[in-house]
Amino acid sequence: MSLVTVQLGQCGNQIGREVFNAICSDVHGTHGLCSKKENESYHDACKERFFIEAESGVPVARAVLVDMEPKVISQTLSIAAKSGYWKYDDHSHFCQKQGSGNNWANGYTVHGPRHKEAIMNLVQKEAEKCDRLGGFFTIMSMAGGTGSGLGAFVTQCLRDAFPSSFILNHVIWPYGTGEVIVQNYNSVLTLSHLYQSSDALLVHENDVIHKVCAQLMHMKQISFKDVNQVIAHQLGSVFQPTYTAEDGLHYSRNPLGDLMETLVPHPEFKMLGLRNIPQMPENSLAYSTFSWPGLIKHLRQMLIANAKMEEGIDWQVQPPRPGSSVPSSRSTNKLLHFNTSIANLVILRGKDTHSADLGSFRDPSLYTSWLNPQDAFSAWKTPRAFNKYEKSASLVSNSQFLLKPLDNVVRKAWNMFASKAYVHQYTKYGIEEEDFLDSFTALEQVISSYTIL
Amino acid sequence: MVRKGPGSAAGRAGAMPGGRALPGAVGALCRAMPPRARLVPEGLRRAKLDRPQATLDFWRLLYALLKQIHGGKWSEADAIDTQIRFVKLALWYQGYGRPELYRLPSDGSAGSRELLLAFSWLLHRISLLEQLLARNRVRTGDETSVCMCEDDLSQSEQGTTEIAPEYGPEDRVDVRYLQWLNGRLRFQWRSLHAQHQEQCKLLHKIHLLTSGSHVDQILGHFSVTEMDLIRQTENYKQLVQLLERETMQLEAFLEWKQLEPVYWQWMETVLDNMAEEGNMCKPQDAHIEKSSLPKVTSCCPWADSLTGQINKLSRDLMALRDQLHELVTHRKSAWEEKPAERRRLISLQRQFPAGPCEPVLLRVRGLGKEATSEMLELGDEAKSLGAHVKDDREGSPRALVVPSNEAVKCQIKIGWEINVTKTHLKGKS
Repeated sequence: MSLVTVQLGQCGNQIGREVFNAICSDVHGTHGLCSKKENESYHDACKERFFIEAESGVPVARAVLVDMEPKVISQTLSIAAKSGYWKYDDHSHFCQKQGSGNNWANGYTVHGPRHKEAIMNLVQKEAEKCDRLGGFFTIMSMAGGTGSGLGAFVTQCLRDAFPSSFILNHVIWPYGTGEVIVQNYNSVLTLSHLYQSSDALLVHENDVIHKVCAQLMHMKQISFKDVNQVIAHQLGSVFQPTYTAEDGLHYSRNPLGDLMETLVPHPEFKMLGLRNIPQMPENSLAYSTFSWPGLIKHLRQMLIANAKMEEGIDWQVQPPRPGSSVPSSRSTNKLLHFNTSIANLVILRGKDTHSADLGSFRDPSLYTSWLNPQDAFSAWKTPRAFNKYEKSASLVSNSQFLLKPLDNVVRKAWNMFASKAYVHQYTKYGIEEEDFLDSFTALEQVISSYTIL
Repeated sequence: MVRKGPGSAAGRAGAMPGGRALPGAVGALCRAMPPRARLVPEGLRRAKLDRPQATLDFWRLLYALLKQIHGGKWSEADAIDTQIRFVKLALWYQGYGRPELYRLPSDGSAGSRELLLAFSWLLHRISLLEQLLARNRVRTGDETSVCMCEDDLSQSEQGTTEIAPEYGPEDRVDVRYLQWLNGRLRFQWRSLHAQHQEQCKLLHKIHLLTSGSHVDQILGHFSVTEMDLIRQTENYKQLVQLLERETMQLEAFLEWKQLEPVYWQWMETVLDNMAEEGNMCKPQDAHIEKSSLPKVTSCCPWADSLTGQINKLSRDLMALRDQLHELVTHRKSAWEEKPAERRRLISLQRQFPAGPCEPVLLRVRGLGKEATSEMLELGDEAKSLGAHVKDDREGSPRALVVPSNEAVKCQIKIGWEINVTKTHLKGKS
């Protein structure tokens, strides 16, 4: 079963390229640390999922590239082809001569409908090449111009054309002190539109990844490429093949479906956060050893305390004791520190995964009251190590991870909107104030649902 | 009495009509039976004579056949009373209405002749052999289907169809959890849908890539089974065995079809025997009271839900009928409370084809001078309300609609036959 990736805008295309790079280098690496047979089935599953076998023998990525400018796309295509391990299909991209000037409304109401047919044709072609369409994986930034406006429109078109397929939107949350002054407007509009058409939103925050690069990877000059590589590594750790059942004989052939089913069946809770440990510079890998109990303990505390990485975790935060008097949701401890989860998915890759004990994740106090741990927690495993890490653990969590960032963005956007700043840029292209209000209402609803867990 | 079989009333030549042909027919029938249902000619003969030893075999035979028809799982080791219960239910479902069968004991000790009758009824009624042959075909793997299975969930028999189940205070379920479960179900459905599409796509690929290679020119491509055979050639032995068995069955079936009339003639002798022995009952309604119907068990879930639904519907209908009846009596009693007006209206209805609200034509005689002018006024009023006023030769109104007390005022001699109430003039058109 195959995923079709739709790379939208500059951000989406650059990250998409890094993702395929990471996947390919993982597959071709010699650090699988498992049997040959295991390696082969891993290789086959990964190939089926992301690539098509071409006559030349070089696997072709199942992807559609969309951007308003030609520069980034041609860069992406050439860099990929240079690697020799994989490439993009030469025809599977769409671009225009001019940009959209960082204007969400322009992307959504003008460029979107204008180029809908061309883009959807490309997507349809990719979908038909799959024996089994496992879903769509779109990569975009939330706050830019092309990526966000056009991306929201394209997601809607995907939903209309493929009503029963799985759609996962990977969204890049902008820097808090970003350069684009209307980024909060863009974010609000994007999120509210995506919430309607998409099945799940997997979020990466630029600020967080930047810190990972600085503190964990010890990088001095952090470029976008570094940030993108970390993001690609984290995404790869989620989407590479795994066994989803305890005694599975085959690699799962339905990763998106399994993910959706375990994490986002409820239509109001679609925001997913991602954590991955360990994360360290490549040259330190050889000198480090890992143990599953240590990794799991850290991951769990990262979940509970809403920590962004494995350094600087607040170990004081603990789940509320069961049987204590039911606190109102305004109780300080619960609201400010403890991160309540709806559902969690832990993915373990590497040596001795069978010995890893995940009982601490099945603690009912971690989860909201209306869901029990059997329904809320799942674990996927594979003995095949990922990207040279002897052991690695990822957590995809539907929890209050993104509550604060979301609240911040909506608040800032509302403050701007209250004084009608820059709104004319949007009304010029047909996004009226009612549309803004609808978006605000929708996101307030999401915020409130997550708050009262 | 149930007379089945293509009518060949002629040629009842005693116990074995047709002579040689009967063993042939019976033999063909036995060979045409599917693999797991055993039937021997001797069993048929014993059943005709109502021997108790043949009963168990016949129950087992019917059980095997009906289970195959209805597609359920079964094994020969199932308890005999379970088997008997299932057969009774299945026959009931198919519409077999002969009460003697349902009264047979559940230990299989007697009644082989009744079972023979039921068996023959099935043969004819539901084309038993044809159905079984169709079900047991060797599959080519080229079939895809859309699941049309009905809702098998057991439904409670209490309550009418509209009332939703009510939860007590302890049973409270968070609606978010229900939404969660609903969402999971929908995702699983979508995964299933994708898998189904994949199956169709791969099937298409097989057909596409092997087109032109098949011996059969019209078909032109390989089926899934044939593709599989190419990849795993050691399976051919099994396939050949299956095909040979199916061929034998089909040949037996063709033979049977030719000799079938002989069998039905023989069945008629069975019926005659029963008549002579005085075992025949008067024809009864197809409807058998609930008490004689075997208890519903889990071995027949579809019958369970069907009878449940029928019961519920009939209860709803009864309830509706009662409600209607109530409404009607209520209306009637409200009606009875105004007797005087009723009488007028009733007599109106009797004498005039027009309804009581329509202006009514009255003949009036003997008008005095003052009365005439008043009548004229009234006549105008009546005209304005749409009453038909007929004038006599002198131009004075002869017929109009008049309220009773006005009539007294006019001192008109009573020439009309009815009293009309005031309400009728007040614009009820």
